[in-house]
Amino acid sequence: RLLEGMIIAAFAVGIGTAVVYVRGEYERIAGRLRDAIAEAEAAGFLGRGIFGTAFGLDVIIHFGAGAYICGEETALLESVEGRRGQPRLKPPFPAVVGLFGAPTVINNVETLASVPAIIGRGADWFTRLGQPKDCGTRLFGVSGAVRRPGLYELATGTPLRTIIEEHAGGPPDGIAIKAVIPGGLSAPLLRADELETPMDFDSLAKVCSMIGSAGIIVIGDRTPILDVLAVTARFYAHESCGQCTPCRIGTSWIHKTVTRIAAGRGRSSDLDLILELTGGMKGRTLCPMGDAAALPIQAMVAKFRDELEQAVGR
Amino acid sequence: MSEVKTVTLTVDGRTVRAAEGTNLLRAAAAAGIDIPHFCFHPAFEAEGSCRMCLVEIEGLPKLELACATVVREGLIVRTATDRVREARRAVLEFLLAEHPLDCPICDKAGECKLQDYYDAHGRFPGRFVEPREKRDKLVAIGRGLVLDRERCILCTRCVRFLRKVTRTGELGVFERGVRAEIGTYGDDPVDQRLLRQSRRHLSRRGHHRYGLPVQDAGLVPGTASVGLSALRPRVRRRRRVRDRISPPRCSRGCAVVVESVTGYPLGPGERRVFRIRAGENPAVNGPWICDLGRAGRRDIDEGRLTAVTDKAATGGTVLWRKAVADLAAHIRAVPGAERPARIAVVLNSFMTCEELALARRIFKEGLGLGGVFIADPPPGSGDGWLLTAERVPNARGVLEAGFTPRLPDLDVLARSTGILIVFGPYLSGNFPAGTAARVLSPVAVKYLFTSRAVPDDRLADVAVPVAVPAERSGTYINVDGLRQTFRQAVAPPQGIPSEHEILVGLAHGLGLGVGEPDAG
Repeated sequence: RLLEGMIIAAFAVGIGTAVVYVRGEYERIAGRLRDAIAEAEAAGFLGRGIFGTAFGLDVIIHFGAGAYICGEETALLESVEGRRGQPRLKPPFPAVVGLFGAPTVINNVETLASVPAIIGRGADWFTRLGQPKDCGTRLFGVSGAVRRPGLYELATGTPLRTIIEEHAGGPPDGIAIKAVIPGGLSAPLLRADELETPMDFDSLAKVCSMIGSAGIIVIGDRTPILDVLAVTARFYAHESCGQCTPCRIGTSWIHKTVTRIAAGRGRSSDLDLILELTGGMKGRTLCPMGDAAALPIQAMVAKFRDELEQAVGR
Repeated sequence: MSEVKTVTLTVDGRTVRAAEGTNLLRAAAAAGIDIPHFCFHPAFEAEGSCRMCLVEIEGLPKLELACATVVREGLIVRTATDRVREARRAVLEFLLAEHPLDCPICDKAGECKLQDYYDAHGRFPGRFVEPREKRDKLVAIGRGLVLDRERCILCTRCVRFLRKVTRTGELGVFERGVRAEIGTYGDDPVDQRLLRQSRRHLSRRGHHRYGLPVQDAGLVPGTASVGLSALRPRVRRRRRVRDRISPPRCSRGCAVVVESVTGYPLGPGERRVFRIRAGENPAVNGPWICDLGRAGRRDIDEGRLTAVTDKAATGGTVLWRKAVADLAAHIRAVPGAERPARIAVVLNSFMTCEELALARRIFKEGLGLGGVFIADPPPGSGDGWLLTAERVPNARGVLEAGFTPRLPDLDVLARSTGILIVFGPYLSGNFPAGTAARVLSPVAVKYLFTSRAVPDDRLADVAVPVAVPAERSGTYINVDGLRQTFRQAVAPPQGIPSEHEILVGLAHGLGLGVGEPDAG
C-alpha cells in the first residue's frame, strides 16, 4: 500500500525518484520494504516505463542514524543528503527548495499508504469514515498499562476511552488509568477525566493536546508522574540536536533539574522554574522540536502539580 | 545598472527605507536600531540558531527572526516590546547557564556581545544550580588557533567561514544537544590547506590563512561570537578605533580597522596598536582581511627607526628639520646643470599619491633629475583571493605620478653620483647582503628616509625616521585601479615626520614653489 501510494503521488506530481527514510534501528522493517520494492520492480510497477507509460519511478531506502530530530522534515533532508541531521531554517520550505535543492514532497508513510484506498474507493467513501473535518482512519499504536498493546486502525474521532478499553483491553487488574499521552511523547498528556475526548485534530486541540503520531501511551496509577517527567526530560535532552540555543540548553537544564528532584534534592522553586524554562523554549526554537519538548513537560507539571509538589518536598 | 527597488517599513514606530532583499536585521541597523544577535554574519545566509534576534512582526503570531526576515513593503516591526525583551532575556539566561563566569580573565571581556547584551537586556540573578558541563579548554585546533569550548556559544560562524568562504571546511559541529561542540575532523588542523587546492592557479608554498571572523573579535583571525580562539592573551587598555586605512602589505587596499591603545604611557615591550581587523568594503574585501594584513600591526610598532642618525654629527640630537635643511644645502651646492648627473633619488611604492606628486615636482620638474628610481620589497605569492603577489600598496600610484619602477644600477650610481636620497628601507634588500652599502660608499652625500631601522644602514650618512602608512593620510591606488583615500589611524611618535613633511621641507629649503600639496 505504501509503495502504491508513493507511485500514485509520484505520478501525480511528476517525480522520478522517491526515498523512504527509515530509522537505522528498524532493520527488520526495512527488510520487508526491500522485499516489497524488489517484488514491485519484478512486476513492473517500479522502474522505467511503468505499465508501458513514459512514467518511471525508483524507490530508494535511506537509513537514518537513530535521531528523533530526523523526523523533522528538513533535518530528514539533511540526513538524506549525507549531512548532520539538523533542521534547516524555513522558509524556503521543502516544496520549494528540498532534497539537494530540488522541490520535494515529504509525507508520512501513513499518509501515503492511505492514498490507494482513497483512489480505489473514492473520496466519498473516505470522508464518510471518521470526522467530517478530519476524515479517514488512523493507526493508533497503544502501549503502556493496557492488556492488549498493539496497533489498531480505527476511524478518526474514536473516543480515547473506546480505543483503550474496547480495543486494547483496558488496564490490567488492580491498575487504574492515571493519565494518557494521546499522540506520541510530544503530545501533552491527558488526565483520566479527559478520556472521552475523540481522537481527531480539533477535539484534541480543545484539550490543549494533539493527535500527533497517534501513539497512545497509557500511564497507570502506580507510575509516579515524576518518573514520566524524568523519562520525557531525558529523552528530549538526549535528542536535541544542539543547533539552537533554547532547545540545546533548555532541554538539558530541565533534565538536570528533574534528575535532581528525582534524587531527593528538589527545591520548592523547581516546578516554577521548569515552567519558565519551557516558556523560554515554546515558539522560540528553530524547529518544532522546542515545542515538542516544552508542551508535554508543561502539561505534566500543570496537570499533576500536587503530586510533583510532594515529590519536590519529600 | 539595475535599479535597486526600495521598500518602506516601520521599525519601532520609525519609518525605515531599505533595498529590496535586505534582511530586517541589517535594515534596522542601517537605521540605527541595533537588534541583538550572535550567529548572524553579513557574509553568510541567516543561520537562525542563536535565537537572539527575535522580534515582533505585526500580523504574525510568533516572534520572528530579524536575521531571516526579508524586508517587505509595509512591514511593521517592534524590537523592544515586553515579549521581545522576555525572549532575549530567556536566550541570554540559557546561554549563560552553561557559560563560565570567568570574564575577569577572558580575553574577550570588554568586547563581548554576551557581556554587552547581558548588561543591556539581561541583569537577572543566576538561578542555574545544576552542575555545568565539563568541556575542554585550550584545544589547539590549528596553527595559532585555540578553542575554549566552555566559552564557545556555538554561533558556528567559524564553521561557516571555513565551509563557505575558504571552502576548506576543517571545522564542524560534533555531538548533539548540550554536548554539541566545535571540533576538527580527526587530527586535521585548521590550516586552510585546501584553499590552495580549490584555487589551483595559485598553489604555491607558503600559503596563508584568513582569520576566522569571530564576532569581529579579530581573535587570531576571528569569527566566533564569544570566547573562541585567542592566539595569545592580550593586555589591553584603552583603545580607539580609526578606520579606512589600508594595511599596506599588498596592493588589495582592504578596509581595515586599526585598534590602538591611547592615553597611557606604554611600558617596555608594549605596543600601541594591538590589533588590525577587517573593516568592511564590499567593493574590495567584503568583511574579510587576510592574516598578513592583520600582522601588519607589527610594521607600526616594531623595528622602528626612532631618531635621526648622522654619522658626521658629534653628540646631541639632530632634528629632522635640520637634516632636511642640510640636505637642501647639499643640493643647492651642486650647480644646476650638473644636478641631473650628480643627484639620484630612490622612492618607493608605499608613498601616497600626494607624496609622489610632490616628489615629481621637486625631483623631476624642480631639479630636472633623470635618476629617479623605485625600490620596493620583492613580490610574494598571491592567494587568488584577496592577497596579491605585489607586496606594496601603491604601485599604480607610482605609474600615475609618471615614475618608471626601476632599480638603479649601483655601479653607475657609485661612479657618477654625488648625492643619493633614498626613501624607504628597501634599496639594500634588492641586492646581496652588504652590496649596496659597499658599492655606494664612494657617494659623498647619502640621505635615507625610513620608518624602519635597516640592518644595512651603513648605506646612509644621515638616516631620518619617518611615519609608517598607518600614521599618514593620503591616497593609494589599488591593484584594480581603485583610488582610495585613507586617514591617519595612529599619530606618529613625537618628532617623527611623514615623507610628505620631509618633501615640503625640502622644497622650501630649495626655494621651490611647490605651493600647497594636492588636495586629498
